[in-house]
Amino acid sequence: MRSVYRALAGLIAIGVVIQAMSVALAWFTALKDIDGGLVIDENSERNLGHNLHSIFGLGIIPLLALLLLIVSFFAHVNGGVKWALIVFGVVLLQVVLAIVSFSAPAIGALHGLNAFLLAGAASMAARRASGPPTVAAEASAPTEATT
Amino acid sequence: MARRPRRRTLIAVLATIVVLAPIAWFWQQSLVPGDLSAMDMGYADYGGGPATHDHGGADVSTLTGPSGAPDMTVDLVARKERFDIPGRGATDGFTLNHTSPGPQITAQQGDLIQVTLHNESVPEGITLHWHGVDVPAAEDGVAGVTQDAVQRGQSHVYRFVAEDVGTYWYHSHQVSHEQVKKGLYGVLIVAPTTSDVVAAVHTYDKVRTVNGGYGERRVKAPGSTVRVRLINTDNGPFSAWVDGASYRILAVDGTEVNGPTDVSNKAVVVTAGGRIDIQLTVPQGSAVRIGLGGGPTTLVIGDGDAPTGAEPADRVDLLSYGKPAALGLDPAKATRVFDYTIGRRPGFFDGKPGLWWTINGHQFPDVPMYMVTEGDVVRMRIENASGQVHPMHLHGHHVVVLSRDGVAATGSPWWTDSLNVEDNETYEVAFVADNPGIWMDHCHNLPHAAQGLVTHLMYSGVSTKFHLGGASDNQPE
Repeated sequence: MRSVYRALAGLIAIGVVIQAMSVALAWFTALKDIDGGLVIDENSERNLGHNLHSIFGLGIIPLLALLLLIVSFFAHVNGGVKWALIVFGVVLLQVVLAIVSFSAPAIGALHGLNAFLLAGAASMAARRASGPPTVAAEASAPTEATT
Repeated sequence: MARRPRRRTLIAVLATIVVLAPIAWFWQQSLVPGDLSAMDMGYADYGGGPATHDHGGADVSTLTGPSGAPDMTVDLVARKERFDIPGRGATDGFTLNHTSPGPQITAQQGDLIQVTLHNESVPEGITLHWHGVDVPAAEDGVAGVTQDAVQRGQSHVYRFVAEDVGTYWYHSHQVSHEQVKKGLYGVLIVAPTTSDVVAAVHTYDKVRTVNGGYGERRVKAPGSTVRVRLINTDNGPFSAWVDGASYRILAVDGTEVNGPTDVSNKAVVVTAGGRIDIQLTVPQGSAVRIGLGGGPTTLVIGDGDAPTGAEPADRVDLLSYGKPAALGLDPAKATRVFDYTIGRRPGFFDGKPGLWWTINGHQFPDVPMYMVTEGDVVRMRIENASGQVHPMHLHGHHVVVLSRDGVAATGSPWWTDSLNVEDNETYEVAFVADNPGIWMDHCHNLPHAAQGLVTHLMYSGVSTKFHLGGASDNQPE
């Protein structure tokens, strides 16, 4: 369970990197489209970058954060639940900031900043589960096996 | 010692349930039934009037146009195929009689129009809706509400009288957010004039066109005075303006403006689905340019060079444009008063996570059904608190704007069927329930409608045998 916890936390951190890449892809694509005489407005289909950003931001990353939280209940990671809750909270905040940014684009800057908090929190969570199990966790693990 | 881990596991399981149960519940609640009747969806909102809903009564399919010999007949064949966008190149989409937009239908006032629609190769099936024409309910062309989608190899006949003069358009109302964008639309004009120039704006996957063509399109001036019929067949509003002349707004959504005045250095917003007729005079020996939302596509009327301007910052406000006149209805004597509050919230819609529209706080299909009886005078408050603009379109009726954000209308009676409701705006409109049927009342940003921003105006004594989803696979949006 510890390795699952670590893997999930690591995937969330990687997800943040993918989000940065996809949003850059989206807007460079859009700028090139405008140069090519296309119109970017309410009628426009979102491009590949936008779609990836939505799929990861509203789908995959929240799902990973949810799984991390559930796994944290079972994995004996010291402070694991706390860090999973922090990651989950920061993901929720990130979604809320995105929602607000549609009508108040300046908030989008905080959405970008919060992405780093998420990457940091996910990395911290992963590090918590990277070393050998702590004493407390070790004490309970063998007894669990014998019951 | 042995008990502790067991308890710990129990706590972990409980915590998992606490986390997952509400998510699973919201997910489950959001699922839209695969077979749904407009009769059974949502909840009845009687707007303070008598609760007169009865599930019996005439089926909507019996409320047809008149019988008898038509004054004009049109055959339209819908196909999935590649077609040319002049000035841009070939694209994949849908056509009517091998073109997109489809053939322009031009009728005289009072004509009985008969349109036979054949679906040759559109996979999801199609319908035709006569946008802005207050047709009898059976002719309204909404898949799953007034008819079944016309599948490949099938035909459907629409018959209606062109009672009201004006600029209209037609489009598919089956999987409309895909089909309209990809080309299933056309122009309908009742009582054309000799000075007409049509400017139907459509955006095919980021390629904005006017009358089907990209870039600077040119037309001959039909005379020195020109009536430009601006039509927005897109999902978002565009602003139009004239470089090289002043103009007057003659009509909005098919209704003549009373006492129009000259406009210069102002743009006029044509909302999605909306039509604005403007009149201008082409200066002797030169041309004028109609700006259409910015971007490379414009319409030049006349010969020679046309001036190139930028979009004026100011916009004509239809709330105060023109001179007041009798409305023909008394809003103070409204028999029903409805709220149509548009919101947006995160959650699930049909099992998919995202940000979803709400109507009066409810999500599709659990939305209010506005119940009326024929003859009702109805007032509706349309409030937008959703963060985005919504072009609101009520089928089968025209509504008159009473106020916006509490400021009463002071101009010409502003009759509309496609109303641009910006974020944080509240409109109050009124109409007479004079066309029995079951009528969609939805956002004409068609992807929004597909995301659930759609409800119905229902008359007592009218029912429908058609189903959304179901065996006929009706997906009006």
